Amino acid sequence: MNDLDAYFEALLFIAERPLATAELAELGEVPRLQAEAALNDLGQRLADDGRGLRLQRLDDEWQLVTAPQLGSRLAAYAARQESRLSNAALEALAVIAYRQPCTRADVDRVRGVDSDYVIRSLLHRRLITEVGRRDSPGRPILLGTTFTFLERFGLTSLDDLPPLSSEAAALTALTADAG
Amino acid sequence: MPLEPIPIEADPRPFELSLDVFSGPLDLLLRLIEARELDVLTVPLSEMADAYVEHLANRPVPAAELADFVAVASQLILLKSRRLLPGEPQPAAATADEGPDEEELRRRLLEYRALRDAARQLGEWDGSRETFRREPREADLPEAPAETMSPAELAIALGRLAAIPEPEPPPPEVVAREVTIAMQIAALRQAMGSAGRVVLQTVLAGCASRTEISVTVLAMLELVRRRQATVEQQELFGPIVLRRIGSESGP
Repeated sequence: MNDLDAYFEALLFIAERPLATAELAELGEVPRLQAEAALNDLGQRLADDGRGLRLQRLDDEWQLVTAPQLGSRLAAYAARQESRLSNAALEALAVIAYRQPCTRADVDRVRGVDSDYVIRSLLHRRLITEVGRRDSPGRPILLGTTFTFLERFGLTSLDDLPPLSSEAAALTALTADAG
Repeated sequence: MPLEPIPIEADPRPFELSLDVFSGPLDLLLRLIEARELDVLTVPLSEMADAYVEHLANRPVPAAELADFVAVASQLILLKSRRLLPGEPQPAAATADEGPDEEELRRRLLEYRALRDAARQLGEWDGSRETFRREPREADLPEAPAETMSPAELAIALGRLAAIPEPEPPPPEVVAREVTIAMQIAALRQAMGSAGRVVLQTVLAGCASRTEISVTVLAMLELVRRRQATVEQQELFGPIVLRRIGSESGP
């Protein structure tokens, strides 16, 4: 492991909030691209070596978290008691995770049913958040997933989401263009 | 709307679901198709109309969502009616209609199925793969002072404290109110004079007792609260400049 990887690992270890790539690049006194490469390298090493920690990425921010396979064993220590999500909540969450940023109306359309209540419950649990507004009539609020979402489902990034079936993925892309 | 029972071509065996709650109308339609082991990609959706309506009639859905379920039911019924009408044009022509299009409904069904399956996977992961991040330590103090200070400054501060007159011995009886905030406000206003500004320390230097000093400071804060004056201090222990705001417009 080179010096920069180790430095970033240490920084992320003591940080009590996610750090941005630009922030890390500045601290490491390296160009942004080099910082990003080092971070990717660090994340890969942690996973390949089967370590107890993983590097988690959301958009442009990074944080060190425990490995997903340790989740149930650590839950007891962390005294974490989360109530399970309902099927309706999971569906709405899946729509937002795969189609983000998207609006409430997008979720309603895919599910064919009003999703207002479940979306509010997801916001309350901080699994999703408002990420902006769509530049269309009414300027509807755009929703996206959070670090809490990645943490809850043990994903190191959105690339870790279960793959959608290819035909459906094509359809999703198609309707996303239309919407 | 009364519906005539129309025999359907699909497998007519009784259909029971283990769950009473559907996530929505597409969920119900999809489960009806899957329970019959039909292929979503090819099954004529019109054939599902009867099963769908029958299910809706027997197992009422929440009133709040009924409209959504009925909307899909009406689409299915329309698709079915098109099939039953003699001389109905080919399905390709149906897109020109303003009514629902079977392919559009199928597309929504497929999209819904993909996301539902992904949601199921997430549901299996829920509670078993959580990753934990460092929590902020509760014992941590808030922001430390911005500047580091030398021990000498502590000694100076102590000296300043010693210079303040000792409190007078407590009187044996009820203490008379000697100094009031109103009095000190008047004193500060007078001190600001026509220049409209004064260094607080110069006023404090004229104070006879600790009580008077603290009441004067309170009077200063009161002026700030009433938006009649601003206070500025450039550096630690530096002069505190009290400045009158505009004219006497406050309450």
